[in-house]
Amino acid sequence: MAGRLNRAITTTQAAVVIIIIILAIVAVAITTRGPGEETTTPEETPSPAVQTPEKTTPKTTPTTSPEETTPVKKEVTLIFASTQMVPVEEQAFVKNKLLPPFTQETGIKVEFIGISYEDLSTRLESEMKAGKVTIDVIGDLHGGLDYFASNGWLMDLSKFGSLPDRTFPKILEDYSNLYGIKAYVPWMTATYVFVVNKEAFNYLPEGLTMDDVISGSSKWTYQALLDWAKNLYEQTGKKALGFPAGPKGLFHRFLHGYLYPSFTGAQVKNFDSQAAIDMWNYLKELWNYVNPASTTYDAMADPLLRGDVLIAWDHTARIKDAITTKPEDFVVVPTPAGPKGRGYILVIAGLAIPKNAPHPEEAWKLIEYLTRPETQVMVLQNVGFFPSVNEASGKVATGPLKVMVDGVSKQLNTPDSLVALIPSLGAKGGEFSSIYRTAFEKIVLEGQNPAEVLPVLAADLNRIFEEVNAPLPPPDK
Amino acid sequence: MRLTPKHKAFLLIAPAFIYMGFFIAYPLSEAIYLSFFEEGALSLANIRYLVGSPLSKFTEAFRYTLTITAIVIPIETALALLIALFLYNSFKGRDLILYMVIIPLTISDVAAGLIWYSILTSNGFMNNLLISLGLIDQPIQVFGSEFKVRMLLAIVVTEVWRSMAIVFVILFAGLQLLSRDLIEAAEVFGASWMQKLTKIILPMLKPSLQSALIIRTLFAFQIFGVVWILAGRNIPVLAGEAYYELTELRHEGVAALYALIIAAISLSFGFIYIRTLRARHLEVTL
Amino acid sequence: MTIHTYTLGERLKGVVKAWAAVLIVSWIGVPLVISILYAFSERTALYERTPIPLSYSLEQIRFLLFEAGALYAVKNSVIVALLTVALSFLLGLPAGYAFAKYVFPGRDALKLALIGMRMFPVMIIAVPLVALYIRIGLSDTLVGVALAHTAMALPFVVLITSSVFAGVPRDLEEAGMVFGLSPIGVFLRITIPLALPGLAAAAMFTFLLSWNEVFIAAVLTLTNRTLPAFILTSALAAPDFFKFAANFIIVAPALVFVFVARRYLVTMWGITVR
Repeated sequence: MAGRLNRAITTTQAAVVIIIIILAIVAVAITTRGPGEETTTPEETPSPAVQTPEKTTPKTTPTTSPEETTPVKKEVTLIFASTQMVPVEEQAFVKNKLLPPFTQETGIKVEFIGISYEDLSTRLESEMKAGKVTIDVIGDLHGGLDYFASNGWLMDLSKFGSLPDRTFPKILEDYSNLYGIKAYVPWMTATYVFVVNKEAFNYLPEGLTMDDVISGSSKWTYQALLDWAKNLYEQTGKKALGFPAGPKGLFHRFLHGYLYPSFTGAQVKNFDSQAAIDMWNYLKELWNYVNPASTTYDAMADPLLRGDVLIAWDHTARIKDAITTKPEDFVVVPTPAGPKGRGYILVIAGLAIPKNAPHPEEAWKLIEYLTRPETQVMVLQNVGFFPSVNEASGKVATGPLKVMVDGVSKQLNTPDSLVALIPSLGAKGGEFSSIYRTAFEKIVLEGQNPAEVLPVLAADLNRIFEEVNAPLPPPDK
Repeated sequence: MRLTPKHKAFLLIAPAFIYMGFFIAYPLSEAIYLSFFEEGALSLANIRYLVGSPLSKFTEAFRYTLTITAIVIPIETALALLIALFLYNSFKGRDLILYMVIIPLTISDVAAGLIWYSILTSNGFMNNLLISLGLIDQPIQVFGSEFKVRMLLAIVVTEVWRSMAIVFVILFAGLQLLSRDLIEAAEVFGASWMQKLTKIILPMLKPSLQSALIIRTLFAFQIFGVVWILAGRNIPVLAGEAYYELTELRHEGVAALYALIIAAISLSFGFIYIRTLRARHLEVTL
Repeated sequence: MTIHTYTLGERLKGVVKAWAAVLIVSWIGVPLVISILYAFSERTALYERTPIPLSYSLEQIRFLLFEAGALYAVKNSVIVALLTVALSFLLGLPAGYAFAKYVFPGRDALKLALIGMRMFPVMIIAVPLVALYIRIGLSDTLVGVALAHTAMALPFVVLITSSVFAGVPRDLEEAGMVFGLSPIGVFLRITIPLALPGLAAAAMFTFLLSWNEVFIAAVLTLTNRTLPAFILTSALAAPDFFKFAANFIIVAPALVFVFVARRYLVTMWGITVR
């Protein structure tokens, strides 16, 4: 029996084991604070997503600890916190290519922190409350900057005067003046476009020319798109239209920022209206000619390259790969128009300086550098964000990017433009998107009656805006 | 002073049990609180959301989880049994096959999903093979909400591929415990292969089969990574919905409710398992 | 080579057996090998319609590791897994030893309780911890993930180590005693060395358990993703080549483990799934 062995472990040994365990727990409790801080070293902060041009919506509060990220050196190191260029691919570009020339030129070091909107917002709020600001430059979308400006957290940039050798489009200038101050300098823009494989032009429906499509003429309508897709299907047997309706795809942006404005004149306001019902019925019919694998597509570059689809809609960043791989095959075209106009989403990213930022002069130099036409072209070339200054477009060499810049600028210049901005709903952003996607699933995929589905979801939609107390996004108001 | 062996044993096991106790008691009570209380008051809002909201896919998730379980388990049990029987007698190269069969045990569900994604996607191995052989000219689409059945099939194949090994290990270990004498005796008396299987092997393997079935059912209700990688929310499952409600929609209460439902199902199977296990010789199995 | 002549029946049996073996090996092996080939494919070769890629490069793996941030996720995964192994062995090893070497009241009941705990789904551990971790400053930390992983791995560690210790022959330990070793001496010089290979395999198993876990990691981290969580949250919208390469990085340690610890595999999983 185990009689002798029961003595194998004595009281002392048992005590030692228990003390070790207690020490271990204490050690864990102490080190608990460690990793959270260590890992804020921005070089190491990974991005949660690849090719996700939108800000990510996290659920936890940040564990960032700015004190540790500021090295104790004499030379200035700017903290550049950005919700943009967070995807890994893009962060690598920022750190390896975008910022080094600036440091070389000015001797100012920049620490780029890719951060989610929520984390940025929490961090900024706590820094403002504590009165100790560490962030020098903020890079964020219009919606977020609008919120920061409304709280009085941003410096009025008009005191720095205007930037030389560059002009910003009027729409961008207008948007960047918020609450009586020049809240931010427009940094980059992005949008969602249609990409057409040139092969599809062989199957244009009657009355629509290639030129109509490329220039975005009044004949390039959603009805024409339907006719085209139908024609393609009848002549080739291929459902050649594709949308990123996969789990991580951005199809909801097409629904609330393209179809809704084009058909109802608003993103949210007319969610449950006769015009909306007409729109859904249109989409139902269109879906007969949409590649059924669309509900698995998260980004359209792969399906375009594989030839699964010939016409696709997606965020510019998510189709960039297709165009750079086979620039001869594709053309970027403006979005079609609906009965109420040519609705499309314009994503505006801006650069701002927080009030009481530690190094405002150096921060302004960084902003100046980032908005130089050459810098903006570099950004376009590497990450596919579009310039915010007019001079940049002319500096793009012919090639794949020219294809994209042309398409985007044509979209921006169509006379019946109806620009939609993505509402900033913070944590509720996911629910907002989910409502449009649910409507799509129920009405188009499951064939339910829009008149029954929409009222229920409209209630949820209104509740979100009430809960967040957010204004309806343009063009609603 | 010297402790009695009994006390020493308790001292040795206490830390582990205290730790586990905390990590079970705390989440469980917190989950109940999150699910059924709102600002301190009892609330059924989460349940109403779960069954009533258009955003919730609870019924679908429940149905799919059940369907996947019901399809995967019989298939993998049958396959595992066949392979275990095949490997019962030693032969040259048996060990190699054994290792092969067990490899998926070490592969995470996310990786298994990715492996089969690279086989089944439209420019994956299957389509490339069929196209280059000239059997088809357009790729077969497996993923997409219109192809729910194909997607389900892909999930089933991946799950069978991944989790058959668990069933196999249990059955194989069970087979090793069988008395070879009995089988040899049957052979001496001229029993056919089928007779040996149905009259001797299967009855004696019953406890192992039972364990395998219960354990797999229990874990099948927790299926997540494979489905999330292959189908996202096109094929909703309970754990996937818990994840989605928590991380995308920030409905903590609803996520907690999903977790509770999964726990309730798992724990009831666990209870059945322990009841059947208790009847057996614990010493042999542990 | 063999001069032995086979009857037709025997030959047929041999052929069937060989085919069955080939079938089983390819059922597991082909998807695995193909997916690894895809990970090493040239990016453009992925769009050619050849069953296996015709040109290979390390570009995808390199990109994923060094540019897409997977290296950081790998590092996180390793840290979490090591912490989990350390913590769960610290807590679990004594318990495993007690179960193996002591007889005490309630032993069977406690063992059953352990098995019961093993069935406790990770979802219910993870979801409520989110709020707790935010309160106590553990959210998005590797320690936080490791603590939850320890809760998941602990029952395994106790059960496996208990079986490893039980496998150390009592005769040898008693012989040690007879030859004048103190109880500690017996433990350190006989029990531990004999148990070491089994314990090492158990440690590797625990490492892998944590390495592979995705739900807890995905829910409890935000920027400090472990590898599976990083892949789960970023793979969906990523191009195919990313998914193919990610697959290899996540599978590689598992394959190493199978190779190193193959002797223990069947027994170990035999224990853990019971």
